[in-house]
Amino acid sequence: MSRKTLEIYSVELDGTKDTKQTDQEDDKKYNDLDLKKSHQKEELKRELDLDDHKLTSEELEQKYGTNIITGLSSARAAEHLARDGPNTLSPPKQTPEIIKFLKQMVGGFSILLWIGAVLCWIAYGIQYVNDKSASLDSVYLGVVLALVVILTGIFAYYQEAKSTNIMASFSKMIPQEALVIRDSEKKVIPAEQLVVGDIVEIKGGDQIPADIRLLSSQGCKVDNSSLTGESEPQPRSAEFTHENPLETKNIGFYSTTCLEGTATGVVINTGDRTVIGRIASLASGVGSEKTPIATEIEHFVHIVAGVAVSVGLLFFIIAVSLKYQVLDSIIFLIGIIVANVPEGLLATVTVTLSLTAKRMAKKNCLVKNLEAVETLGSTSIICSDKTGTLTQNRMAVAHLWFDNQIFMADTSENQLNQAFDQSSGTWASLSKIIALCNRAEFRPGQENIPIMKKVVVGDASETALLKFSEVILGDVMEIRKRNRKVAEIPFNSTNKFQLSIHETEDPEDKHFLVVMKGAPERILERCSTIMINGQEQPLGKSNATAFHTAYMELGGLGERVLGFCHLYLPEDEFPESYPFDVDAMNFPTSNLCFVGLLSMIDPPRSTVPDAVAKCRSAGIKVIMVTGDHPITAKAVAKSVGVISASSETVEDIARRCSIAVEQVNKRDARAAVVTGMELKDMAPEQLDEILANYSEIVFARTSPQQKLIIVEGCQRQDAVVAVTGDGVNDSPALKKADIGIAMGIAGSDAAKNAADMVLLDDNFASIVTGVEEGRLIFDNLKKTIAYTLTKNIAELCPFLIYIIVGLPLPIGTITLLFIDLGTDIIPSIALAYEKAESDIMNRKPRHKKKDRLVNHQLAIYSYLHIGLMQALGAFLVYFTVYAQQGFWPTSLINLRVRWEKDELNDVEDSYGQEWTRYQRKYLEWTGYTAFFVGIMVQQIADLIIRKTRRNSIFQQGLFRNKVIWVGIASQIIIALILSYGLGSVTALSFTMLRPQYWFVAIPHAILIWVYDEVRKLFIRRYPGSWWDKNMYY
Amino acid sequence: MVIQKEKKSCGQVVEEWKEFVWNPRTHQFMGRTGTSWAFILLFYLVFYGFLTAMFTLTMWVMLQTVSDHTPKYQDRLATPGLMIRPKTENLDVIVNISDTESWDQHVQKLNKFLEPYNNSIQAQKNDVCRPGRYYEQPDNGVLNYPKRACQFNRTQLGNCSGIGDLTYYGYSTGKPCVFIKMNRVINFYAGANQSMNVTCAGKRDEDAENLGHFVMFPANGNIDLMYFPYYGKKFHVNYTQPLVAVKFLNVTPNVEVNVECRINAANIATDDERDKFAGRVAFKLRINKT
Repeated sequence: MSRKTLEIYSVELDGTKDTKQTDQEDDKKYNDLDLKKSHQKEELKRELDLDDHKLTSEELEQKYGTNIITGLSSARAAEHLARDGPNTLSPPKQTPEIIKFLKQMVGGFSILLWIGAVLCWIAYGIQYVNDKSASLDSVYLGVVLALVVILTGIFAYYQEAKSTNIMASFSKMIPQEALVIRDSEKKVIPAEQLVVGDIVEIKGGDQIPADIRLLSSQGCKVDNSSLTGESEPQPRSAEFTHENPLETKNIGFYSTTCLEGTATGVVINTGDRTVIGRIASLASGVGSEKTPIATEIEHFVHIVAGVAVSVGLLFFIIAVSLKYQVLDSIIFLIGIIVANVPEGLLATVTVTLSLTAKRMAKKNCLVKNLEAVETLGSTSIICSDKTGTLTQNRMAVAHLWFDNQIFMADTSENQLNQAFDQSSGTWASLSKIIALCNRAEFRPGQENIPIMKKVVVGDASETALLKFSEVILGDVMEIRKRNRKVAEIPFNSTNKFQLSIHETEDPEDKHFLVVMKGAPERILERCSTIMINGQEQPLGKSNATAFHTAYMELGGLGERVLGFCHLYLPEDEFPESYPFDVDAMNFPTSNLCFVGLLSMIDPPRSTVPDAVAKCRSAGIKVIMVTGDHPITAKAVAKSVGVISASSETVEDIARRCSIAVEQVNKRDARAAVVTGMELKDMAPEQLDEILANYSEIVFARTSPQQKLIIVEGCQRQDAVVAVTGDGVNDSPALKKADIGIAMGIAGSDAAKNAADMVLLDDNFASIVTGVEEGRLIFDNLKKTIAYTLTKNIAELCPFLIYIIVGLPLPIGTITLLFIDLGTDIIPSIALAYEKAESDIMNRKPRHKKKDRLVNHQLAIYSYLHIGLMQALGAFLVYFTVYAQQGFWPTSLINLRVRWEKDELNDVEDSYGQEWTRYQRKYLEWTGYTAFFVGIMVQQIADLIIRKTRRNSIFQQGLFRNKVIWVGIASQIIIALILSYGLGSVTALSFTMLRPQYWFVAIPHAILIWVYDEVRKLFIRRYPGSWWDKNMYY
Repeated sequence: MVIQKEKKSCGQVVEEWKEFVWNPRTHQFMGRTGTSWAFILLFYLVFYGFLTAMFTLTMWVMLQTVSDHTPKYQDRLATPGLMIRPKTENLDVIVNISDTESWDQHVQKLNKFLEPYNNSIQAQKNDVCRPGRYYEQPDNGVLNYPKRACQFNRTQLGNCSGIGDLTYYGYSTGKPCVFIKMNRVINFYAGANQSMNVTCAGKRDEDAENLGHFVMFPANGNIDLMYFPYYGKKFHVNYTQPLVAVKFLNVTPNVEVNVECRINAANIATDDERDKFAGRVAFKLRINKT
């Protein structure tokens, strides 16, 4: 591997490691991996090599040929624009529509049907050469087959296009503008015309229009969460503060938002060369895996096509060796292929999937890729992002410490249930400080909005405190009005505290109140007393120890801790007219009275713990992957149950037993917290070991590349991996995952584009719904396929019998198509509405390679058991029709040749009567109709038995799924229309069947039902038995 | 990140198949142990035995609904079809006068076809019936009482009877006989109590010209009512189907002539669009002369 690659690899996005030191180590670690990877993938995974942040402004001017004051000249800018192209992300390469369409035309069974159609035309060609007046029947059949392929192809294409269009709306971005200095003038130009070297100005609220190196800034803060996952605003200034471009303060990244302040900077990268651009191309470069259901359907198509081709060829050979003409043999072959191919099935599957997709959309899971509907059901590992998915992506007060006690606050979405003890005098003081020492304010005009939903002007912590006190104390603005503020020192990073001085609300009391909050240790330094139970006490050693214990404990929970203190200024020293001066600090800022601690966290969503527990009981491993700090990550993991209460990490055990981490038996720990740093030094085998051995894993401080590595690691375990995420940094992993789930509200466009599914309510719990639906659809597809495959035998047998025994053809090829594409369609879709047989959320996810959609039990049971019964039943109807018209079953044997001879117009039946060709043909069509009705009647029984695979129909409820009955009705109505409505249309070869023939197959239909009930009974009675193994599909 | 090679080598595939066919470790043949195979075979023996029995039973029940002597439904046979003898490929009667073999097969067929019509056989087996009325034979309380048939003597076919005929039904002289017969339909009262006859004509005008003269036996192509109704082959054992012979006297040689014969009877429609043989028959006639 070249030296260059090493450097590229060495810069991690979290970047706390020094680049140069790790080069050599990385070399060894990645070397063997690199060899296995293609060069292209390598390119995509390259990380940042950027040194602009180290340069001075003069060097920058030189490098980019610009001037900080006057900007680029327009000519120069045009030149750069021509060289680098516009400042936009190039959209991922799309497969041309025509290719997509053609793919539908040749995918699945289409090839077989095309072969059938071509064979038809070849057959006609042969006939035509022999006899110019050959009938066009086979040409028509060929055309019908081709039409079937084209129509189902168009249908599938339309379905796919429809689901793609849902997402098109997401990717539309609002055109952006940028304020740029060119030719010494400030101009507003579209952001896509920005070029390298442009000087741009940004202000609070803007999206940063390109990667820029800041030259000057006034209190500029940016939200990098979409890039790095850090939920706190990051300050930005002109100083170079870190080797790593992602850590240094003087670079602003394309597509991140400037929250407050203003800044000026020089554009250093545009379009695809920006950091975001590279991650986006990383995402589009990651091949998305074939969905499990696509694999299953492919597997199923292979089985059916295999059966069709082998039976077809076998009987072609048999036919030829039985001295049939090659032409006839070809026609048999076509019949066999058409009988074997479930023409309507793939369309049915598509409809079924889209029905489920619609149902899921109602439950806030928007599915972009139809096949992903099932993927969620087979998911065995969920790699979830923390911020915004598991948590609420806001700060909230989690704990309070006063009176030497830790109290818990309600962190749920509405915070209404604040149950801690509020009677203490300390709380009264603390609450006053919280309310007063706070600069955040509600934006006016939101009187009717619930407190938690009100928009606040101020940073995340202050917002949390404001809302917290508003919930508990009531109108905070009113309290502040009553305690007029006379002076204020805002928070800054040197003081690490915030202070304000207020009049008290009692008009008689002329004291001033100093309130202060800040970093707990700094606050404690300034205090000499502490308030316990409303009484001021001197701050003794024991109190200090108690403080430290509490501080450590809250800090250990991954929470941000603030200390609060106050002081009533003596009235004599500070009279009402005292001129407070914040710069001169002419008031005491030490020897205050410590009141309490308060800790905040980005609280988990209240539905998440339950959802995680459900996932776990459904056998799904939930892994948390976050860019956040390990301690915070672990705390959140614990609170949502990703690490369950009883589980310990190696470190926990070490601490509990007071031994070194190395001495702990790794097998004792069920949970693990792995940081990006550790992950970086790991060989894939080690990662595999971690993924296999720990049931509860948290990955913290991870980079987008590492997310990808984790997903790949999971996939190596044969797991079906779901990844949730919202940031741009998640998009490669979303794409790589078997199913990527993006957040609809918080999610970035890049994430939504890379994902297969979008959670519209950002709620992890919706995933559980998705899993349930996905599992149900898998079960129901099994039923649909079993239902559809069954009649294949009943359709195939006529041709086989026809060839071997020489009966007049029991059912025509066109008639078969009326079953496959007519009567059977709605019933097979109806099975998609079937309710689950048992609690599907209490079983393990299916194994990708072992639990097939179509297993041999399903094929054998459908083909050789029910299918055969159906064939017999349909033959019964057929024989009945012939016998009652004069041809007894025995007389039919070997009748075929005479039967089909056009010039034979006096073929004798069993009674000595003579039949013309047309009379026979009409009888043959009646036979087709009879056979068709026979299959249809038994398919009703088949439909009913397929409602369940294990339970009795009576347990499942015969009438619970109303759609099944719609299906049955549709079957009967379509058959009635075909027979009585279109019975006179010759080309369709249906005739008006005598009413009683509709009932002939009913005994066989009942037999099917009874037989299947017996099968299910034995399966329930003797689980694990030979019967269960062979008969359960 | 380790890209697993999905493709297996050819040897591996063969090896896997070998193991599938016979796995020495688990003693599995085609994925099943001996016991498992035994179970499976036993199961299918019983299951298919049962299915066969079930099918046989339902078929037997169905056959109970079918009577021995009349079909349950005859709706398809409302109009009996017409057919010619000799029965030839594509219904063309081609006679090369000089080439004996071209018509010898027709003659053989006709000899065989007309054998049961020999007067001796007719006299021995069948009744002399009263012409001009149906020969009805009600059961009179005896179920399926065997039915008698009326005589149709070969001599009724006149010059086409082939008796003492040295011209082989006219085939050797280019004046062939073609026999028209009407399909048997049980309990069909053809003619609805009125006399009926067969007529022949060229299909188009030129055919009519080329066809020339012909004579019919019995005269006028009459079919007598006494040959109806037909009671079915089981009880109407010696039933003799009435025939009409057409002798074409001067067909234009070396031309294909389309001939159509139809029956004129009150209750037989001959204009069915779809069934070209309902009450009529069309055939091609060609006499090749050198």
